[in-house]
Amino acid sequence: MTNSIHHYDVAIIGGGPAGQAAALVLDQNGARIAVIDEQQRPGGQILRQPPQEFAMAQSMKGKSYTSLKSQLRAFEALNRCDWIGGKSVIGIDRSGGTVDLTLASGDGITQVSANRLLIASGCYDLPIPIPGWTLPGAMGAGGLQALVKAQAVVPDGRVLLAGTHPLMLIVATQVIAAGGTVAEVAFDQRQSFLARLLIKGAGTALRNFGLMLDAASAWATLRRAGVPVTFGQRLSVIEGLNRVSSARIGKRTVHCDAVGLCYGFLPQSDLPRLAGLSVRWAQPTGGWAAEHDGWMRSSVSQIFVAGETSGVAGAPAALLEGQIAGAGIALDLGLIPMDEAEAIRRDAARKQIRVSRFAALLDRIADPTSALTALRDANTILCRCEDVTIGAVETALIQDSDPNSVKLVTRCGMGTCQGRGCEHMLLRLAAHKRGVGPNELRGFTSRFPVRPTRIGDLIG
Amino acid sequence: MLVEQASTGSGASGQNAGSLHFQIERRFLERKGGLGLEGEQTATLSRIAIDDWSTLEDRLGVSLHVHMNGGLMVAENADQVAILKAKADRERAMGLSVETIDGAEARRRAPYLSEGIVAANFMAAEGHADTRKIAPAFATAATAAGAEIQIRTRLTKLEWQGASFRAEIIGSEGAFTVGAKKVLVAAGVWSARIAAMANLHLPLFPVGLTMSASERTPHFLPHLVQHVAQRLSMKQTEAGNILIGGGWPSRLHRVDGIFDLSRPAELIIQSLRNNLSVATKTVPRVADLNLIRTWTGVTAVTPDQLPIAGEFPTMPGLFCAAGGSAFTLGPTFARLVADQMLERERDEADRLLAVASPARFDSLNGFMGR
Ligand SMILES: Cc1cc2nc3c(=O)[nH]c(=O)nc-3n(C[C@H](O)[C@H](O)[C@H](O)COP(=O)(O)OP(=O)(O)OC[C@H]3O[C@@H](n4cnc5c(N)ncnc54)[C@H](O)[C@@H]3O)c2cc1C
Ligand SMILES: Cc1cc2nc3c(=O)[nH]c(=O)nc-3n(C[C@H](O)[C@H](O)[C@H](O)COP(=O)(O)OP(=O)(O)OC[C@H]3O[C@@H](n4cnc5c(N)ncnc54)[C@H](O)[C@@H]3O)c2cc1C
Repeated sequence: MTNSIHHYDVAIIGGGPAGQAAALVLDQNGARIAVIDEQQRPGGQILRQPPQEFAMAQSMKGKSYTSLKSQLRAFEALNRCDWIGGKSVIGIDRSGGTVDLTLASGDGITQVSANRLLIASGCYDLPIPIPGWTLPGAMGAGGLQALVKAQAVVPDGRVLLAGTHPLMLIVATQVIAAGGTVAEVAFDQRQSFLARLLIKGAGTALRNFGLMLDAASAWATLRRAGVPVTFGQRLSVIEGLNRVSSARIGKRTVHCDAVGLCYGFLPQSDLPRLAGLSVRWAQPTGGWAAEHDGWMRSSVSQIFVAGETSGVAGAPAALLEGQIAGAGIALDLGLIPMDEAEAIRRDAARKQIRVSRFAALLDRIADPTSALTALRDANTILCRCEDVTIGAVETALIQDSDPNSVKLVTRCGMGTCQGRGCEHMLLRLAAHKRGVGPNELRGFTSRFPVRPTRIGDLIG
Repeated sequence: MLVEQASTGSGASGQNAGSLHFQIERRFLERKGGLGLEGEQTATLSRIAIDDWSTLEDRLGVSLHVHMNGGLMVAENADQVAILKAKADRERAMGLSVETIDGAEARRRAPYLSEGIVAANFMAAEGHADTRKIAPAFATAATAAGAEIQIRTRLTKLEWQGASFRAEIIGSEGAFTVGAKKVLVAAGVWSARIAAMANLHLPLFPVGLTMSASERTPHFLPHLVQHVAQRLSMKQTEAGNILIGGGWPSRLHRVDGIFDLSRPAELIIQSLRNNLSVATKTVPRVADLNLIRTWTGVTAVTPDQLPIAGEFPTMPGLFCAAGGSAFTLGPTFARLVADQMLERERDEADRLLAVASPARFDSLNGFMGR
């Protein structure tokens, strides 16, 4: 472990739309900043950058990406801001008066210290413990998209996309654009349900023409490519011997070699919870979103949050929150007067109104609750790190419906991912058992290091 | 009736290292006066605890992952070897079977040990058990034997009313009161607060500790490994994780000058780094394993480091079992205090628990108890 500690005014975790937006505001106001990201290059999930430029042009030509892409270019042009790519933040310590971050990578451990911290660490695919979900070839649709975006890798054979989230339309077109084959895009919901919500929210949908157009044009692309888009037939089982070979959609069997599961996203809450931030259960997908005030200050002094960390609302919302957080931090550090900060916030807050209406509409459309409620197959693995089945968890729940007690008894959530994959479902099962909402239960305690770290790198 | 404010095993019993250490503990050697006089006094209890642990799985009828494959307390230089030898002499005098072996012999039995280890004390009975399992297993057995256990049920008030105790309790279905002739305070680090409900001082102080788990790895470490001069305990769980601890501090949260026991203690990174250094110096191959989680736990210490188990002289009928290494010694305290409470071979129980009796702190309660 090296002992040279780099000091900054502000450290930003996450180089996605939120982190970039904050960095741009802060840089303009003279702050010394570091932006840290596990990915080598800036972009976050949505503009995950591939090594070759051509793949990027291919996969991201939608309307909704325009302003995100111009922000990314502006961010990459910053020359005072330190980009620390390819390193994971594994710990946050405030005991020394500053916010001290421990960073891990293949090259060992480094430390970064700052007066203020922004956590803009994004979200991840809602894990769905459906029978067969642990077979090689089954993955989150976001993960599938990440493969396509970052490595231009398309799974061999036929890809099935299934779930409740309209993002899978876009992922399907990206798979096709990258040379893959899509077997089907299967929505859980009935088409009439979608139509009703869309008509009710038509105004909102239209004002967010970027994303809606992307979805609409994606649908048209799929139709041209002869890809069936189905509604109201639920994915119930993924089948295969050593890897995925088919899936049951309603009463049909669909032959496929890969499945992208797309039911929504959970905020990455490991770092916020490690640092002791107040969080709330995020409806309807679950997971824990960090609470904040109007300047994106978290409940813990010196720490701000933005983007999906405060609740999953999509890239445009993340960008606006990043701007507000940037202004809030600049204000806190005395870098800008109140009226200037207020002007930035007002401008972003105005745009937030329509963006958040759209996010709320999307939440209603993509609500995974009924799909999740159907998942009660006792033999299906819930915790894939420790191989704990849903049945084992349900048995433990009879003794004691406290999630942490079930964790202790079954090892569910005790593995290398610290429960990122299973906590939401365990909480749902426990809440159901106790007849309360998951928000009334205490989730797992997030612990250092939030990513597995070589012991030899930590000593000294 | 047993009331538990959270879940069985949610306190230190579910967070600890799970070491079954029967040698005089290193923390006793740290104190002035050297060779752990207090530790020596617990040797009698350790002897009984060895029997208790050897039969516990049979008595409870479940696997607790008890492994008593031996424990090594290692030394790296001549001074440390001298301590090992003196310690082993004392332990043998107390009837514990401990041998001092040289580095080569230690590596023959434990090939994973570093070349830097020059000697070790080996005790065949030492080992470890699975902390995840003990409390729930006891709870199941107690329920089967007719005890009523209420979880998520909290004691809020405790008063002696002349003929019996009156306890106010809040459970998930609301508040209720219970009368009892005898009460046992076995609330771990919270015990001092329960004693205070009864207007008694109980000198038990919270301390935050640090524990770490590696990723799973094929079994290679069958023993309990400790260090005579450094804070270290290592073992491998049934699942394959290496657990690393040994008494490195974490930081308790404080509110208005009072330790906040409702929040997990805060990790001290330097503490962890030191702990991992000692571990890799002792067992070099752990350096290449991934650390998957470091957690903090809170346990209770007393002014003389010894546990507190027995009846309060100032308030007959009120008993305590708390403090000390109560994973290793917990089942034994429980059995002996139960004997005391039931007046079952009471004299023998009193004799064995004399070293832990709350009577030694009676001077604190000269003004209390009414
Ligand atoms: C796989 C995936 C694909 C998605 N695809 C789309 C899409 O096509 N269209 C769409 O509208 N939305 C998509 N989303 C939602 C998308 O995440 C957001 O709309 C947008 O990217 C959010 O921006 P953000 O700045 O909040 O977070 P992100 O863009 O996710 O940026 C967060 C960054 O933080 C980094 N990070 C996280 N934890 C750590 C750590 N401990 N140490 C260091 N770095 C860390 C991550 O590597 C990531 O780059 C996707 C989400 C996921 C998970
Ligand atoms: C990190 C760590 C490592 C350790 N390693 C070892 C080891 O290797 N070997 C060893 O022998 N010992 C070890 N110990 C010590 C050992 O864990 C404890 O001494 C032992 O577990 C204490 O058991 P207990 O039943 O007294 O307390 P606890 O297990 O803490 O139980 C007390 C219970 O009382 C409940 N309670 C509190 N107040 C109330 C109330 N008002 N109403 C109802 N219920 C209440 C709590 O919720 C809690 O569940 C370690 C401790 C820690 C923290």
